[in-house]
Amino acid sequence: MNTFLTMENITKKFGDVYANRAVDLSVMAGEVHTLLGENGAGKSTLMNILSGLYHPTKGHIYLRGHKVKIHSPAQAVKLGIGMVHQHYMLVEAMTVFENIILGTTKHKSFFIQKDKIKNELLALSAKYGLDIEIDKPINEISVGAQQRVEIMKALYRGAELLILDEPTAALTDIEVESLFRIIRRLTSEQKTVIFISHKMREVLEISDRITILRAGQTIATLIKSETTAAELAHLMIGRELITSEYEKKTVNRELILQLDQASFNATSKHNGLNAVSLTVGAGEVLGIAGVDGNGQSQLAQLVTGLIAPDDGDVHLNNRKVARFTPAHFIASKVSHIPEDRNKMGLIGNMTVKENLLLKSLNSSRFSYGKGWLLRRRQIAMHAREIRQTYDIRCASVEQEIRNLSGGNQQKTILARELERDIDLLVAVHPTRGLDIGATKYVHDKVIEARDRGCGVLLISADFDEVLKLSDRIAVMFEGEIVGVFPGINPPIHEISLAMAGKKQQTQDLAV
Amino acid sequence: MDIFLSLPFLQELLLSTLRMATPILIVALAELYSERAGLVNIGLDGIMAFGALAGFLVSYQTGNPYLGILAGALGGILVNLVYAFGTIQLGAQQIVFGMAINIFAPAIASFIYKMAFGSSSSLAQATLMAAIPIPGLSRIPFIGDVFFNHTPIVYLTFLLVPITYVFFAKTIPGLNYKSVGEYPKAAESSGIHVVMVKYKASIICGALAGIGGAYLTTSYISTYSDGVVSGRGFIALTAVIFGRWMPGGILLAALFFGFTDALQLRFQVMNSKTPYQLLAMIPYISTLFALIFFGIKKAGPASSGKPYFREER
Amino acid sequence: MKMNTKVVQFLVPVLSILFSFFIGAILIASIGGNPIEAFQFLFKGAFGTKANIGETIVKATPLIFTGLAATFAYKCGVFNLGAEGQFVMGAVVTIWLSSIQLGLPRIPMLMLSIVAGAVAGGLWGAIPGVLKITRGLNEMIVSIMLNYIAILFMGFLYSGPLREDNLPQTAQVIVKLPRIIAKTRVHVGIVIALVVAFLIYYFMFHTAYGFKLRSVGLNRRAAQVNGFPVKTLMLLSFIVSGAIAGLGGSVELLGTQYRLMAGFGEGFGFDGVAIALIGQLNPIGTLLVAYLFAILRTGATTMQVGTGLPTSVIDIIQALVIVFAVAGSALVNLPKIRQVLANWSAEPKKGQGN
Repeated sequence: MNTFLTMENITKKFGDVYANRAVDLSVMAGEVHTLLGENGAGKSTLMNILSGLYHPTKGHIYLRGHKVKIHSPAQAVKLGIGMVHQHYMLVEAMTVFENIILGTTKHKSFFIQKDKIKNELLALSAKYGLDIEIDKPINEISVGAQQRVEIMKALYRGAELLILDEPTAALTDIEVESLFRIIRRLTSEQKTVIFISHKMREVLEISDRITILRAGQTIATLIKSETTAAELAHLMIGRELITSEYEKKTVNRELILQLDQASFNATSKHNGLNAVSLTVGAGEVLGIAGVDGNGQSQLAQLVTGLIAPDDGDVHLNNRKVARFTPAHFIASKVSHIPEDRNKMGLIGNMTVKENLLLKSLNSSRFSYGKGWLLRRRQIAMHAREIRQTYDIRCASVEQEIRNLSGGNQQKTILARELERDIDLLVAVHPTRGLDIGATKYVHDKVIEARDRGCGVLLISADFDEVLKLSDRIAVMFEGEIVGVFPGINPPIHEISLAMAGKKQQTQDLAV
Repeated sequence: MDIFLSLPFLQELLLSTLRMATPILIVALAELYSERAGLVNIGLDGIMAFGALAGFLVSYQTGNPYLGILAGALGGILVNLVYAFGTIQLGAQQIVFGMAINIFAPAIASFIYKMAFGSSSSLAQATLMAAIPIPGLSRIPFIGDVFFNHTPIVYLTFLLVPITYVFFAKTIPGLNYKSVGEYPKAAESSGIHVVMVKYKASIICGALAGIGGAYLTTSYISTYSDGVVSGRGFIALTAVIFGRWMPGGILLAALFFGFTDALQLRFQVMNSKTPYQLLAMIPYISTLFALIFFGIKKAGPASSGKPYFREER
Repeated sequence: MKMNTKVVQFLVPVLSILFSFFIGAILIASIGGNPIEAFQFLFKGAFGTKANIGETIVKATPLIFTGLAATFAYKCGVFNLGAEGQFVMGAVVTIWLSSIQLGLPRIPMLMLSIVAGAVAGGLWGAIPGVLKITRGLNEMIVSIMLNYIAILFMGFLYSGPLREDNLPQTAQVIVKLPRIIAKTRVHVGIVIALVVAFLIYYFMFHTAYGFKLRSVGLNRRAAQVNGFPVKTLMLLSFIVSGAIAGLGGSVELLGTQYRLMAGFGEGFGFDGVAIALIGQLNPIGTLLVAYLFAILRTGATTMQVGTGLPTSVIDIIQALVIVFAVAGSALVNLPKIRQVLANWSAEPKKGQGN
């Protein structure tokens, strides 16, 4: 086989941080080449460079042996490079058809020649088994279908190399199978595929060769048949994989949180809750597993007072909640690690110190006269202590929080949420985008809170995380709880079936 | 009171509605072109003021109002390029920078006027653009005078409505343009030059808003004075919201505002006893009520108002 | 190290001002004037005599009020462009009180007038707030429309019901604010303005409520998630902002203008916006910039008389300051530049330990 793509000595700096450091990558024509690495290993950055979105600080790219400079996505498209981003680049307000032809220069006409192009698209769709509904608006089709639209976009633009960035992250197992069929179809037509993932099982199933990135550097390139999951994991993490062993608890204790047939926007499969009942006891972690966008976001908002249920009840400490406002939930000792730390958790233009203060403004420790005079010295002292205990790396507590790394931002949130007297912690995707060290830190803290007797509702799209931390596991699908499973020796197969929408005979764990 | 129903009154009223709606309509379309590329431009008043001055000056000097309109367009572009640089290149908050333009551009216009005419002289008069009746159509009784006896700017402005509709709904460049306002990253990754589109949008917006300003001093009144724009930019902004970002809707909104404006003027002429201020409030009050009853829910481009940096993580 | 953000915040307006004067100088030279002479006259006009210094303070007073009104609103992320209307409504209610012959003694009458002005401004300012919160309407457009309505309403009053004799203007107010510096027109309004500025500063930076208000301005969603009453705070900031402007209108009427006539309050709203933005939304910055604007205004006339240059040269300088300040603030917030600044501030410096 011929080498299709060579990336040589690629370095990319964001400010002072190296996202890629002298990375080498060589991809053969017609192969499925996997880029394997943890979050933040530099996979996406490397691919964004290849697709012209970022410009490398240093390094060269060769396509079919010719040196190329990719200065824009348009240029990448011309060179036959197509990328399916992890966050789809689709315009919600437009139809599938419009999204596919967006920005193309194939037809030089001024007016949109709909019928002509449509036939081309249908032919392409049939050839690769993409099965797309051309006239539907994007916001009316499923996540899997949106992904196929992205693939179609790339193919329609004449992509020879297709980059799939974490393509399985938001898919059910069944959708993953159909994606893999499409990938095989592509390579059988001599298309080259770069597959980005950190899920070992999938990587071993679909790849021909695997390149491992760690901390922005190339570690090795291996042939699939000559390696094992253990070796890959070892190379990816750089040390022995500590399969964390947090002790799991099974004792049923007093209930902290209880949802009784709670519904919100119940007809929506992706943004609603349909008669959800669940409980969280003191000193236990209830993990919510499920593919992103099955109502988890609404569940989190409901149990932190951001939305009120249309129907059904929420009980906190055996008392029915009457007022659904964040202030009320905060006063009822509920803490919240929100799903989007920048949008919901932190105020970027405020300092670390001020962000730590957000939830204790009115406490007499930090102000006189119920908030009419802030005790600045106390506040600063407290912030400095927290910075020590939580190891928040910053130039000073007076630094604006937006200038900190994701891990340190998350630690700030953790500190703010855990340094209060709390009964319930709602943690939503608490380690999203964090590196291994920070992830472990967050996990330790969550378990620590549990062991202090706090109830934890953990919502995460990272299945491994849910398995690792949860004492019980509930699965959400299309706004419903479709199964509850034990956290000790969890029946992984059944859980993944539930995540794909197969209703389970709920085991006798739902209380 | 019969007079209100008389044909000449109605004819005058409708004629004047179209005349009043024209500057609102063209400036609202300017804003539509800007917002479709993700730039919320509240500096319209400022651009119009500068366009009004440029238009007046050239029309006065050359005696040719058409050159005045051209100058208004160029002046508008010039001012809006300042806005474009600030918001696209520097990523300034669009609202704040638009506000700065509203303060900056009229000051420049006023300065230039005073340099040209001195501060004390009585108002200079320029030639007004003459109406050009459309042959044949303008002869139709009643309708002819109302619709087909206007200056070319009026025709052009109203013609721009279907053109804009077709551009955004039926053409490839229009589709690409819209995607910039909806989701610039997706546009960029589809090979569209986002920054370029934004600059093009700013040029179109500047030109149209500048023409809107120049219309006031070359086709509507023959003088320039500070404050000649009197909030029409903001009313145009309202017309865009009100018209749901659709050219047809914007047309209706502009006609509505033109109508209320025309109505208060007619009242002023006919009823000299009611203090004119109360009548002059009509357009503003009706704008408010229009907003209260129809202005709910934003339906505009999803990424409007947000700065776009390609390499932001 | 914290200093650096503050230094930058301070440098942006200062450099904008210097740069604008520089361009102003070029402009003056290009129309045949002598920039140095012009600026000499400018500052002579603002500071040359005791009366001039006083006049500058008189001119600064209303600008401080509208500047603070804008600052207070924008700190909460609320874009009130209606200060002019609120200023006018404050004055309108004050003159109306004056016209109905309440027969109160001077001091209570003054206090009532001022409070009524603030309340009127607050109510006028509440309208865009209520409409934003209940109907989701854009506060900028609503407040601008309300400006025109307020100005026309004032016009209706001074040419109709409250008209004095033949001129389109009202009678003088029956009580006036006391003057506080002999041989100048400086009145007690400046003291009120300074007190208001100090109160806002204290509220913003030393109370939990000010903190919450700022949070809402910086990240509304995060403020909500953290349990702050976002809508209440926004409405509050509309009302307080309007009240400050209304107070300003009342003070301007009782201390400087004494009667309503065409042009009362004209331009003060947008000037207030400019002042707030140049002053980096800081109450103290707002004070300083308002004073600068007043200097430009009193000085401009002297400059015109002395050099024959039109006063609008000064308007240009003022307009340039706002553009440069806004552009400058954006510039230092560009991701790349921010990174440089952040690194710079992260460098440990000797003798500046934490």
